[in-house]
Amino acid sequence: MNLKLKRICGASVRNTLLALYAVFALFPIFWMILITFKTDAEMYTTTFIFHPTLHNYEEVLLRTDYFWAFLDNIIVSSLAVVVSVLAGVPAAYALARYKFRGKEDLAFTILSFKFAPEILVILPLFMIYQKLGIFDTYFGLIWVYQLITMPLIIWVVRGYFEDVNIEIEQAAQLDGYPWYSVFLKILLPLIKPGLVAAALLSFIFAWNSFTFPLLLSGFKIETVTVASLKYIASDTVHYGQMAVAATVAVIPEVVLALLIQKHLVRGLSFGAVKG
Amino acid sequence: MAQIELNNITKKFKRTVALENLSLAVKDKEFFVLFGPAGAGKTTILKTIAGLEFPDAGCVKINDDIVNLVEPARRNVSMVFENYALYPHFTVYDNIASPMRSPLYKKDEEFIKKEVYRVATMMKIDDLMDRLPSQISNGQKQRVAIGRCLVRQPNVFLMDEPLAHLDAKLRHFMRAELKEMQSSFDTTIIYVTHDYLEALSLGDRIGVINEGKIEQIGTADEVYYTPANQFVAKLFGEPEINLFGADIIEEVGKIKLKFLDQKHLFSVEDDVAAALSACEHSVVKMGIRGTCISYSLSKEDDEFIHGTIYSLEPIGNKSILIVDIAGQQIRLLAPNDFYADLDSDIYIKMNLKNALFFDKDDETFIIRHNQKHYIEKTL
Repeated sequence: MNLKLKRICGASVRNTLLALYAVFALFPIFWMILITFKTDAEMYTTTFIFHPTLHNYEEVLLRTDYFWAFLDNIIVSSLAVVVSVLAGVPAAYALARYKFRGKEDLAFTILSFKFAPEILVILPLFMIYQKLGIFDTYFGLIWVYQLITMPLIIWVVRGYFEDVNIEIEQAAQLDGYPWYSVFLKILLPLIKPGLVAAALLSFIFAWNSFTFPLLLSGFKIETVTVASLKYIASDTVHYGQMAVAATVAVIPEVVLALLIQKHLVRGLSFGAVKG
Repeated sequence: MAQIELNNITKKFKRTVALENLSLAVKDKEFFVLFGPAGAGKTTILKTIAGLEFPDAGCVKINDDIVNLVEPARRNVSMVFENYALYPHFTVYDNIASPMRSPLYKKDEEFIKKEVYRVATMMKIDDLMDRLPSQISNGQKQRVAIGRCLVRQPNVFLMDEPLAHLDAKLRHFMRAELKEMQSSFDTTIIYVTHDYLEALSLGDRIGVINEGKIEQIGTADEVYYTPANQFVAKLFGEPEINLFGADIIEEVGKIKLKFLDQKHLFSVEDDVAAALSACEHSVVKMGIRGTCISYSLSKEDDEFIHGTIYSLEPIGNKSILIVDIAGQQIRLLAPNDFYADLDSDIYIKMNLKNALFFDKDDETFIIRHNQKHYIEKTL
């Protein structure tokens, strides 16, 4: 009886704490959504009582080119992730399986791309992009986004490859599968949880990227992060419209995360090799 | 089916030498057992044949064709890995079916189903078909791995300790099943084990490997009764063979042996005496197995040696009795119901007809009584 009571107490304390944290974490988002329905006049009231309006949505979604920025962002971010997956997964395999000189140095160099502050490299990049004529192009942005997406994918997927026993690959070879079938049929399903998680994370990083699209594009191509700046007018800041832009920008990330939630579970490769 | 040949294979991993100038020929339709301690290079030999490890020197031949540059998939070999190497995301059925679904060895689904159930029934895993490898026990995984190996008709089956994780009863059954399968299907099997009983009972021939080199290749009788050196002699048999020094003494024209500080001189058979007198040393290492030593609680004749009981260790259907004689521990077998106090007196008698003699320096085999009988029987 005592034990049961203890367990109930423990569970309720745990749940209370988790609920408190959830409120703490979600309140800013809730407040942001609240703001989207407020007029500029009511913006600074801290009560929950106001006159809801769809005016901000109307302004942002219909009267400005926010929609095109949204589309551009999707194109640039998803293509950047696709390129990173296509190039990064084989690179991760090589780093996990083959022995070659300077392997660890190379791996660390790739990781170090993530350390450097973007603002530090942006000036030379800006000049190079101007010279190459890829300033303000999809290609240029996708290329520079590799700095954000590639290291993450390579490092996460490399770890997953290292966890797959090499004898599983060897067994598949002996079963008569050519190398590409071994990769697609045996390896890819085993690293899928890692690959999906890394791809999602790097998509979010690319989606939220601000410095690169601000300075390397902005005329023909505009991303949502840069577009949100426009609501800072010379006389006032349209927080309501900015909140709409931000809220809409969050939607794809949330939808993606929910869709692939089940792949984020790890543990598939456990148990097939000797424990 | 095919014969396999390894010619002067050398394989190094960084600075450690895994295989050193190793040559080996496995005949067609032979059950060849590779036997040796852990780390001897047995698995490396199998992987070299399969093409999964590339030798630094030497060539691998399958059916007289040099296959060094042939991809593993095209060598048509089937292998059981020691750690199973099952595909974690495939069910047991799909794991076993996998070789028959590959582009190289493609079969139609109806045939696959029949074959999978045939081997699964043999391995007694036909009730696990829909499970994933993570949902079955280690012994079951091992049987799935054997099943995946057996659904094919390859040039050679390579089996790396395939029975190591099965319980004793199943291991006995599977051992018989494998032997039966090998003789009825005329297959070539190369089988790695570190269990000497498995090696002796399964192998047409046994290759004893140590530190990347072959110590001896021979039939079960040859490696057991005429081991090439002390190392091989120690590997086979339970309890381990007794080895001690013996002085060769010539007494009135007859070669006699003096050992274990005994006053009595032991006489040997004529063929052994001839070989020992030709030996350049006056000291040899004598090896005698525990099964060739009898014991008594009283000194019945001059051949009995006095000792004290050091320990008595029951191992199921018999006991291992260790007797201390002049500081040397002699291991022998006693029936299960034998009981004696520790440190009490006991007398043992060695059957010198079964003694093995080794060179005291390089530990190689010199002679045993009736040696030709054991070697010629198999020729």
